Amino acid sequence: MAASETTVKLERVSKSFGEFTAVRELSLDVRAGRVFGLLGPNGAGKTTTIRMIVNITAPDSGSISLFGRKIDPKLQDRIGYLPEERGLYRRMRIIDQLRFFAELKNVRGKQIDSKIDEWLARVKLSEWKNKRSMELSKGMQQKIQFITSVIHDPDLLILDEPFSGLDPINTELLKEIVLDLKRAGKTIIFSTHQMEVAERICDDICLLNRAQKIFEGSLREIKRSFGRNSVSVRCEGGDGVLDDPALVSKLVRHADEAQALLASGADAQNLLKRLLDTGAVIGKFEMVEPSLNDIFITKVTESA
Amino acid sequence: MKKFLAVVKREYLARVRTKMFIVSTILLPLVMSLFGIVPAVILNIDAGSLVRVAVVDQTGKIYPELQQALATEESDAQDPNDPVGNASRGLTRKGSGNFQLEEVNVTGRSNEEIQAELAQRLRARQLDSYLILPPDFLDRGEAEFFNQNPGDVMSRRILESALERAVRERRLIDAKVDSKTREELFQPIDLQSVKVGATGQERDSGGSFAVVFGIGFVMYLAILMYGQIILGAVIEEKETRIAEILFSSVKPFTLMMGKLVGVSFVALTQLAIWGLAFSAFALYGTGVLAARGLPSHVPSIPLAHYIYFGLFFLLGYFMYATIYALVGSMVTTAQEGGQLAMPIILILVVSFYLFFPVSRSPDSSFAFWVSMIPFSAPVAMLVRIVTQTPPFWQIALSLVIGFSSVLVIMWIASRVYRVGMLMYGKRASIPEAWRWARQA
Repeated sequence: MAASETTVKLERVSKSFGEFTAVRELSLDVRAGRVFGLLGPNGAGKTTTIRMIVNITAPDSGSISLFGRKIDPKLQDRIGYLPEERGLYRRMRIIDQLRFFAELKNVRGKQIDSKIDEWLARVKLSEWKNKRSMELSKGMQQKIQFITSVIHDPDLLILDEPFSGLDPINTELLKEIVLDLKRAGKTIIFSTHQMEVAERICDDICLLNRAQKIFEGSLREIKRSFGRNSVSVRCEGGDGVLDDPALVSKLVRHADEAQALLASGADAQNLLKRLLDTGAVIGKFEMVEPSLNDIFITKVTESA
Repeated sequence: MKKFLAVVKREYLARVRTKMFIVSTILLPLVMSLFGIVPAVILNIDAGSLVRVAVVDQTGKIYPELQQALATEESDAQDPNDPVGNASRGLTRKGSGNFQLEEVNVTGRSNEEIQAELAQRLRARQLDSYLILPPDFLDRGEAEFFNQNPGDVMSRRILESALERAVRERRLIDAKVDSKTREELFQPIDLQSVKVGATGQERDSGGSFAVVFGIGFVMYLAILMYGQIILGAVIEEKETRIAEILFSSVKPFTLMMGKLVGVSFVALTQLAIWGLAFSAFALYGTGVLAARGLPSHVPSIPLAHYIYFGLFFLLGYFMYATIYALVGSMVTTAQEGGQLAMPIILILVVSFYLFFPVSRSPDSSFAFWVSMIPFSAPVAMLVRIVTQTPPFWQIALSLVIGFSSVLVIMWIASRVYRVGMLMYGKRASIPEAWRWARQA
């Protein structure tokens, strides 16, 4: 698949529940072979958008196409979906559950079992194969749920908050797997409200807020368009300067340094000069890219 | 279709493998047979020894007849033509052999003297009771029975009927009726129930009522039990949040139907096991009774009845289980599910109790109507079929109405289910569910 191909295309899609509009006039392109971050605060319409892509709910208006075709139930077999609200049958053995989920994706026969063994080994749960899921810890169950979404080798993988509640080691493990799948040419839609996670794994992002798209594009471009208007500063003295709203629009103090977002019209040279003028001792003064979190907050406040 | 079969298979295996299934399969026939046997055994326990009765016969003529009447009651007890007999009658017979009569000599003593002496003996536990038959007893028919244990209703009843018989006998003797005529007069009658069916006549000693009741009860119990299983299964998928994963692979309608059909196979498996167990037990039971020289037979059940049972069970099951699935998708916890399912259980219980009026007059228009209403049809129509098979068009009509309503209910349920399964947090109200059902 060429990188420019589109796996999922939404055109002016709207969905409302009674009075409440969950998604309004949403258009987006998810390019093949990339990790697409669907970001937004709680209630922005992420889950509704995903449910429409997976064909669980139908849009009120607009059109959705997958792999260049209009969505239909058969295409569901090429999608792997790990919803935010997910679970397993408590009393069913892990092996039986995985077989069942594979059968629901029309994968059957001998190759299922070797696939299951492979995946269990990969998430380090091989010895739990014949246990019931109620005997597993929450983290283990989450890894099994992850397997249910990839067992049928889908071309499109949709992960809704896949790492919530996982410890750092397992988060890293799953993240590696996701990146491997991307390298294998799979398209991944990744939904989260944790910006730090999205920043590390997404190629493209789409920000949603209150049912609408705020912006969409590659992460690189977005950051570039925002410019390097953020400064990381470590200094002694010169406090009054950093608090000047004409220079710094937002200041976040960390343990021993501060993150300053430059006010519009101000420039970094000027800020440095003012600091030196007040006799501050500078330990660090670095132009940094805005974090996705900053972009997000700025954009969301702008749109409100 | 393959996905549907995958759901059916999962539901079937997941249920059949549970301990619950195995235990209930074995336990129900056991419990049912216990309910049949234990009361009879308990009522027949002969806790007391002989009932010692002193009789003060102031008429001077009744005592011999009374003695004889009691003895006759006793011999009636061994009537072999009535093996089924209900428990209270069994008890009556049992008790009659337990009397020890003693005539009190009244000559030369005053009434008070005798009574005082008997009361004294009663307190000393030399007697259990005493009976005083006044001189005008034959005319007025009033006597007094003194005892320490008024709770022993059975003894009193037996004594009463023996006395009645003795008095009648005495009156006939006084009217100069000869002994042969008297014997003829007391000849007991035997009312045998013969069922006239389409194929001919069949002697029946009440056993078929038990069978009808048993079938109705099993029908009701199975519908209730498997409806609850569906409710639990749906709530589990909602509670554990599996529903959304499933819906990304199968259509909600396929999932719901797969569940209903899968569990119906579990039910049919269990019913088949019970059916076989019953047949084996019945064959064995008749064998044992026959070996003891007790002629008895289990009423034969025509093959068509098994088929009707299956059909009406499926009707009832799909009717109620679909509603249970609907309810399950509306609630968030098993507890809420139980509350919301109460009205359904109520309808089910009422339709089971319709068993009694329907079995009493299976041909009435009341029976006709309740066997047409889909909610009560499974039990009502089956009872009619077993007791007094209605014309085929009625059975067919009942099935057509029933299964059509099932389709309508399934359609509504699948629409509520589709939305409800993904609604977490709070229980849906009925108007809300109705709105979901109407949404495109």
